[in-house]
Amino acid sequence: MLRHLFKLIWNKKKENFLLISEIFISFIVTFAVFTLLVNFYRNYKKPAGMTYENVWTVNIGSTGLSKNKDSLLLVHENLKNALLSLPQIKAVSYTGNNTPFSNSSTMSGLSYLHHDVSRVDMYRGETSYGKVLGLKLVSGRWFENQDRAVKYSPIVINQVAVEKLMIKNPVGTVLGNKNENQLKIIGVVEDMKDKGDFLAPGPKMYTISDTGSVAYMSTILLKVSPDADANFESKVYKLIANSSKGSNVEIGHLTEARRKKNLEVLIPMIILMIISSFLIFNVALGLFGVLWYNISKRRGEIGLRRAIGASAFSVSSQLVGEALVLATFSLIIGSFFAIQFPLLHVFDLPAPIYLTSLFLSIVFIYLLVIFCALYPGKHAASIHPAVALHED
Amino acid sequence: MIQLNNIEKVYRTDTIETLALNNISLHVEKGEFLSIMGPSGCGKSTLLNLMGLLDMPSRGDVLIDRQTTQQMPDAQLAHFRNSKIGFIFQSYHLINDLQVLDNVELPLLYRKSTAKERKERATEALIKVGLGNRIKHFPTQLSGGQRQRVAIARAIVGRPEIILADEPTGNLDSAMGDEIMNILLELNRVDGTTIVMVTHDANMAQRTHRLVRLFDGSQVL
Repeated sequence: MLRHLFKLIWNKKKENFLLISEIFISFIVTFAVFTLLVNFYRNYKKPAGMTYENVWTVNIGSTGLSKNKDSLLLVHENLKNALLSLPQIKAVSYTGNNTPFSNSSTMSGLSYLHHDVSRVDMYRGETSYGKVLGLKLVSGRWFENQDRAVKYSPIVINQVAVEKLMIKNPVGTVLGNKNENQLKIIGVVEDMKDKGDFLAPGPKMYTISDTGSVAYMSTILLKVSPDADANFESKVYKLIANSSKGSNVEIGHLTEARRKKNLEVLIPMIILMIISSFLIFNVALGLFGVLWYNISKRRGEIGLRRAIGASAFSVSSQLVGEALVLATFSLIIGSFFAIQFPLLHVFDLPAPIYLTSLFLSIVFIYLLVIFCALYPGKHAASIHPAVALHED
Repeated sequence: MIQLNNIEKVYRTDTIETLALNNISLHVEKGEFLSIMGPSGCGKSTLLNLMGLLDMPSRGDVLIDRQTTQQMPDAQLAHFRNSKIGFIFQSYHLINDLQVLDNVELPLLYRKSTAKERKERATEALIKVGLGNRIKHFPTQLSGGQRQRVAIARAIVGRPEIILADEPTGNLDSAMGDEIMNILLELNRVDGTTIVMVTHDANMAQRTHRLVRLFDGSQVL
C-alpha cells in the first residue's frame, strides 16, 4: 500500500507541488526554531560556573577621582579596607567595567603553537576576584599577590579556551610569541555563563590587576552575606560615595543583571516563536483545506475503493497516509538542506544540536500533518460508496 | 448465489420519504447471467447496490453465498466485497493518475498479496480482456471501450464469484458495446462467473440467461 501511495503522489507531483513547498517551508522554520530552542536548552542545563547570588556591583564614575595612580591606589586600598570591615561583606575585588551579565566586554586573543583564538573575553581582577564570583578551579590555582612580579604574565583561562587552543596540559603552558608579551597559564576554571543562562560561554581569560591598570578598575564586586538588605545597601552607598567624592556611584545586583540578560535572549525568542506559530498555523489551515478539497474532488475514487474492498478505516488511513507521503517528500528535500548546517559548520554550533533539531522537526511536521489529515480522513471514511459512485 | 428476500428500500429526507424498492424477492443461481431492465429511476442501480453490499435494505434480507449480510460490520463487508464481488460501472471509475496496470491491481491492495503476485495477476487479467499491450498507459490515453475493458480486468483480477455490472455498455457505441458484452459472456461461460447486469439495451439483455424487469421499484412479473 505504501508503494501505491508513493506512486499516486508521484504521479500527481505537479498538483502537489504547492503543498510540498508549503510543508518544506514549515519544516525549515520549525528546524530554525528547534535549533535555537535546543541550543538554549543545552546551555541552560550547563552549570553556571560561578555564584551570582549575593554579589553586588558598584560602578564608580571616575570623574571625581584622582588621576594620579599612587593616590588612586591609596583610595582603592582604603575603600576596600573600609568595606571589608563591614561584617556583611565577605569579599571585595576591584575589576573593570566588564562585570558578568553587563553589556561591556573587553576582548583579546590567545595563541598556542598554530592555534589562534580570537574574541577571548578578558577579565581583570584582584586576587579575591575568583572568591567573589565563586569561580571553580578545574586545575592549577588562582592568582596570588606574588604573581604581579613574575617573568611571564600569569593568566587563568576557562575550559572553552583550553579546548579551542587544543592544549593537553594547560597549567604551566606559555602562550604567545617570544616577541610579544608572553602569558603563562596558572589555572583553569569552569566555564562561567556570564552572558546569561541561554548563551554558550565563549573562551575567557582572567588576569590580575597591577598598578598600571588601576585607572581602569572602576567597578567593585562585593560578595555580601544573605542578610544584606536595602538598609545595608544604602550604608555601602554612603561609604563609597564619601570616599569617591564627585563620582557617580551605582550599585547593582548580579541576580538582577542576569535576569535582564536572560530576558534579552528570551523576548526575541518568544517573538520568533509567536511569528512561527502563526506561520505554522496558516500552513496547517492550508493543508487542512487542500486535503478537504481533494476529498470532495475524489468522492468517486473513494466510492470505488470502498466498492472494491476498502473498509472505512482503510480509506481514512489512506488519506492520512497520502498526507504523510507528501510530508515525506518535503522532509527529504528539507533534510538535505538542514544537514548542510552541521556539515558546513554554519553558526559554529555543535552537530548534535542540529541533529536533535532535525529529529524534532521531522517528528513535529509528521504530527502536524497527521493532525491536519485526521478529520478530512474521517470525513472521507464517512462517504457512502453507493452515493459517491452514483454522483460520478 | 444471491438471495434477496422481501427487500424494501426507502430513502428518507426531512420532508420526503421515497420508496425506491418495494418487496423485491430474487434468487440468482451460481453461474447465472441475469440482466435487469427498467426505465430510469425504477430502482435498478439501487437493487444492484444492495446485491453488492454497497447499501443496506430498509427491510428484508440479502444473502450472498448463503450468508446473511445485514449484521456484518464494515470491515467484514469490505472483505466480503473484495473477495466475492467485482464491480463494473457505466462511467468506468478508473483513477486517471494511475497507469492501467495499477488501476487493475487496486482490489488486490486490500488483501494479502505480494507486489509480484499483484503484477502477475493484473497483467493476466489485462491480457484476458485484450489489453496486454496497454499496461503502461494512463486511462486518459485509452478509448471508451478500452477503459471499460480495463474496468472489467479490475473486476476479475480478484477472481470473484460474482460480477455486478451497472450499464457497462451505456457509454459505448454498439460495436464497442458488443465487444464488452462478448467479454462478459465469455467470463460467464468459461469461468462460470455469476453476472448481474443492469442495462437499458434490450438486445444485450436478450443475450443473458434471464431478464428481470423493474417498474417504480417493484418487480414486473
